[in-house]
Amino acid sequence: MRRALVPAVVATLIIEALQLTVLSSLRIEGVVVMLVWLWPLAMGLTGFTSLALVTALVAGVFFDTHANTPFGLTAVVALVLAYAASRLGREGVGDLDSAAWWVTPALAALGGFVAPMLYVVAGAGALNFNLWRGSVLMMMFINAGAFFVLARPMTRLARTIANVGDRVRR
Amino acid sequence: MATDRSRRRAWTLGVVAAAILTVLALTGGVFSGLRSVANAVVTPFNWTVNEVARPIGHLFSGAINYSDVVAQNQKLRYELGQAQLKSNESWPLQRQLQQISTELDVPYVGSLPTVAAQVTTLSPTNFAATVNISKGRDSGILVGMPVVANGGLVGSVIATSPEGATVRLISDVNSSVGVTFGNGSVSLVVTGRGVNNGLSATSVPLSTPITPGTKLATNGLNGALYPPGLPVAKVASVKLTPGAATYNLVLRPTADLRHLLYLDVVLWEPTA
Repeated sequence: MRRALVPAVVATLIIEALQLTVLSSLRIEGVVVMLVWLWPLAMGLTGFTSLALVTALVAGVFFDTHANTPFGLTAVVALVLAYAASRLGREGVGDLDSAAWWVTPALAALGGFVAPMLYVVAGAGALNFNLWRGSVLMMMFINAGAFFVLARPMTRLARTIANVGDRVRR
Repeated sequence: MATDRSRRRAWTLGVVAAAILTVLALTGGVFSGLRSVANAVVTPFNWTVNEVARPIGHLFSGAINYSDVVAQNQKLRYELGQAQLKSNESWPLQRQLQQISTELDVPYVGSLPTVAAQVTTLSPTNFAATVNISKGRDSGILVGMPVVANGGLVGSVIATSPEGATVRLISDVNSSVGVTFGNGSVSLVVTGRGVNNGLSATSVPLSTPITPGTKLATNGLNGALYPPGLPVAKVASVKLTPGAATYNLVLRPTADLRHLLYLDVVLWEPTA
């Protein structure tokens, strides 16, 4: 895990930069696709729980420092997605080679669908009850669609990075 | 055994992460320091990605939105022509209004100093309607100052740095603006409904004489966050729930909040 940590963090920062510079202006029906949630989820699907949690924390915290929303909410959602995906990843669910082609995209789409709702719930936990007033349903559908499309390349990238540690060990 | 250890490690990481997030959220000072550190770390990556990916992003964006851009351009040309016509026709009236406002000591945006700024970045998240602008404290911009553009109120400044500021748009879910209409006898509170959802006013008494098309402007009551008379929104529809003692208004912002490129910060501070 330690060997893969540095490339994972660097990749997370590059994805963070992509999110902040490109995706914030390239909106679909006004909705931003949250790559910073897909990335930890993809890392989780590789089965490396600790690595997934670290990427979730880094991606979430860095994103939260750039957004004017309650601090930590993006990170909390990313951590939940990463942990849930890693539980599935450890069981081999969503493995790119052995599972059907649609399993990984479907899991990612489910994550993308649930994530905005999780965010609103976490916001209520942080005593911000206004977040539900945004177009949450639209965010859920658009993120689900985008996650479905991007899941396989992201998971492939995550697997390449996560396997760096394994290869070095061997 | 190994699974137990990795599970324990994952839980420890999760707990430590939650603790760090809680501490950072509770300590504002640390948070602002963290924000600048995070900015410093991400900036080189941002710059590189910007150089490489933005032209590609613009290409896609342009291809997807081309017909919108053409339509918007035509609309803007039409509106510019109309504005020029109106400006030519109404300058004597404007001068008269400014004179009366000065005599009545009513702050009128035409007489208030403004600082023009360019929108640099949009909010990166779906849950906050904010924009960052190119001018900040060095240009006299302070937290709380109103921001106008495209013929109406856009929002207010919520954070500043020496060379930049963050503006919370009136469509943000945490935004609320005191407004009035007609002869100014009734005041309402307009709240944002999120990035794509415009504005609304809830719990409006049934006795309020308001119809679709009514224009709402800031009320400027004592202690208000905005000076009076700034156009805020137009009533799009009135929603009445059967049996309810109040009704809700769906409002369309006067300013086009989706196409903000330049805006004016009004150098006016809310009274305590």
